[in-house]
Amino acid sequence: MASSLANIILILSIFFSFLSNLFFFKKKIKLSIHTFNWSSILTITSFLLLIFYFSSSNFSISAVYENSHTLKPFFYKLSGTWGNHEGSLLLFILIVGLYGTLFSLFYDKNITFKSWVIFFQNNIYLIFLIFLIVKSNPFDLIIPTPEEGLGLNPILQDPLLVFHPPFLYLGYVGFSLTLSLVLAALVTKQLDSTWAKISWPWVMSSWVFLTIGITLGSIWAYYELGWGGYWFWDPVENASLMPWLAGTALIHSLLVLKIKNKMQNWTALLAILTFSLSLLGTFLVRSGILNSVHAFANDPDRGIFILVIIFLITTISLLIHTFYSSHTTNYKISFFSKENFLNINNLFLLFFLFIILLGTTYPIILSALNESISIGPDYYNTILAPFIFIFLIAMSIGPILKWSQSVRLKDTYFFLIVFFIALLFSFLIIIFSKRNELILYLGLASSLVLILTILFEVSKIRYKIHFINLSRVFSHLGVGIFILSVFLNSYFSKTKDFEIQIGEIKKFDNVSLNLTNQNILKINNYLEMRTDFEIIENNKLFTLNPSIRRYFQPDQITSETSIKPTLLSNHYLVINFPDLNSKIIGARYYYNFFIHGIWFGLVLIIFGGILSVFKKRV
Amino acid sequence: MNNKVKKRLYFFLVSIITALIIGKFIFDSLKVNSVYFFSPTDLKNTTEIPNGVIRIGGMVKVESLKKKGNQYSFIVTDFKNEILVNYSGIKPNLFEEGQGAVVEGKLNTRTNFVATKILAKHDENYMPKEVADALKKTGNWKKNYGK
Repeated sequence: MASSLANIILILSIFFSFLSNLFFFKKKIKLSIHTFNWSSILTITSFLLLIFYFSSSNFSISAVYENSHTLKPFFYKLSGTWGNHEGSLLLFILIVGLYGTLFSLFYDKNITFKSWVIFFQNNIYLIFLIFLIVKSNPFDLIIPTPEEGLGLNPILQDPLLVFHPPFLYLGYVGFSLTLSLVLAALVTKQLDSTWAKISWPWVMSSWVFLTIGITLGSIWAYYELGWGGYWFWDPVENASLMPWLAGTALIHSLLVLKIKNKMQNWTALLAILTFSLSLLGTFLVRSGILNSVHAFANDPDRGIFILVIIFLITTISLLIHTFYSSHTTNYKISFFSKENFLNINNLFLLFFLFIILLGTTYPIILSALNESISIGPDYYNTILAPFIFIFLIAMSIGPILKWSQSVRLKDTYFFLIVFFIALLFSFLIIIFSKRNELILYLGLASSLVLILTILFEVSKIRYKIHFINLSRVFSHLGVGIFILSVFLNSYFSKTKDFEIQIGEIKKFDNVSLNLTNQNILKINNYLEMRTDFEIIENNKLFTLNPSIRRYFQPDQITSETSIKPTLLSNHYLVINFPDLNSKIIGARYYYNFFIHGIWFGLVLIIFGGILSVFKKRV
Repeated sequence: MNNKVKKRLYFFLVSIITALIIGKFIFDSLKVNSVYFFSPTDLKNTTEIPNGVIRIGGMVKVESLKKKGNQYSFIVTDFKNEILVNYSGIKPNLFEEGQGAVVEGKLNTRTNFVATKILAKHDENYMPKEVADALKKTGNWKKNYGK
């Protein structure tokens, strides 16, 4: 009953989507948009139904049976809706539709252009809807209805992870609208600065959502996985970083298009690249080709299906691009002009993207030749580091340059002063910390150059406030603080493994750890062994309570970390499942230096992005 | 040759050389940081003992796990060949006898491996893909693994 109702809605939704195409070809533009919106509303309804089935533990639905359990807290029953392959795909489709519908509501200047946007959006939507029905229907029926569900992986039962997938999808999928906007502009020959102004808030909001999604995932990995870090160059993480880099390049070239009406073709290419990489990310994560917490589907057919979709969408987009793109004249611009530095930004971002793409796909390509390898994080760190330095310097210079013109003398002086102060400051840090390492020095110096340029600019030492772009100031400052913190964190953090029993005290440097108590609690759907540690650092005492949980359904053991933030660092403790017949607990202690700076930098980047979405001024 | 052509030629040459240098840098780094995976049988069959960091994987042999303080030793098997692994550090929660595992480290001798990392699993159903492939090769793959 439940299953057939939902299936009827999904089939109706496909029908309306087909109808929308039909009306479009019959030149009934308004009807075409209306039917698309109806289809989109139906998909939203089916998703709401799925949420209802999850929250009421209706185990006759396969997706619910496989990913839920009656003992699970209500909140996680809800989030279980998108914590699996089928449900998350439905969410994906819902968002494709939602972006289209929102666009049709907010834009009504040029009806032909609008109908083309909806046409392209509808076809991206339709192709995934068919994939859902054929290969990954969340509403498949189970007969007879099972008594109890299989449960959701406990490490996914976390408040941050409730929001991580929807935000990530709002980002990934938002770039589908960017693609539709570009294709529609190419077909109707309107790829110009007016178009860029219309597209700006849509592209920026997708970018902001993607940034938030990645940040949430990173914070989750930090406290939940218990590995002490926030980024592991895991292929799945890379899969989300690649569209982010392409999207970042895209918003910078869109800026040139918006203000100077240049770089049309390049912007269009970047839009195609960004959405293709979003799809590639979906493929890598969902096909089961990579082993990770994200790999739900182990059905190779699904992987092939997604690959075919990527191929179709990318090829058709590129064909439209070649067929419709207009010849642009060559502009003569000076090396030290804003345009040129935005070009440099694009080159660097695409270079980073290439490095990450290579590192992520190389093992997959080799596995086809029956060789099994993995790429260590040092590959990324050693290659990216030297280019990051140059990138940051270019990023400091670019924004203070003028459009089209060459550099002015007073800018040069200003920059040299900042450069000198940054070098001096990082030199002092190196001296005081006694860490005489070139990479650290360059990392600190280049990120300080960026931070200081922005701070000087804002404090109007040489500039009047008339034209300060606040969103750029916040997000670039965020990048500077982020990179600075990454370097400080990776060079000054410490980690220590030890074994301990009640009453014992362990000392590392100026920190002492004392295990005072351990007890076992029974909570809803798990048993928990809690420990009390007293930590003393420089005569300051605080407690940490890392624990081990044994979940009942599925039967699984997880470690819960305990983190104490102090002014400059985090004390981070995680314990291990003890041997049954010994009282000794294995533990790992991390002293995570300046980790706050990393989160703060990311928050600034996001804040700058949000400001830019709502920016009215050109 | 006039000046314009000369200028372009120089630009072209410089770009090619830069691209080659960066390309070499990237591929060297890719090679250095590639960690190869071996099953115990693969190791038996290789003519040359790999001397860098590698990963090995298979099933943790039942009743082979021994513990002395922070030192662990256990046997990884693909039911055809096996290898003794020594590890010091924290044992991940989901690492148990009779389950699939992947460890990273260096070979001491052809049958003795010093692990620096036991790769953590995300859930109890998870079977590392490499291990699954290795077991399939020796014909010891059972359907219920990783399901």
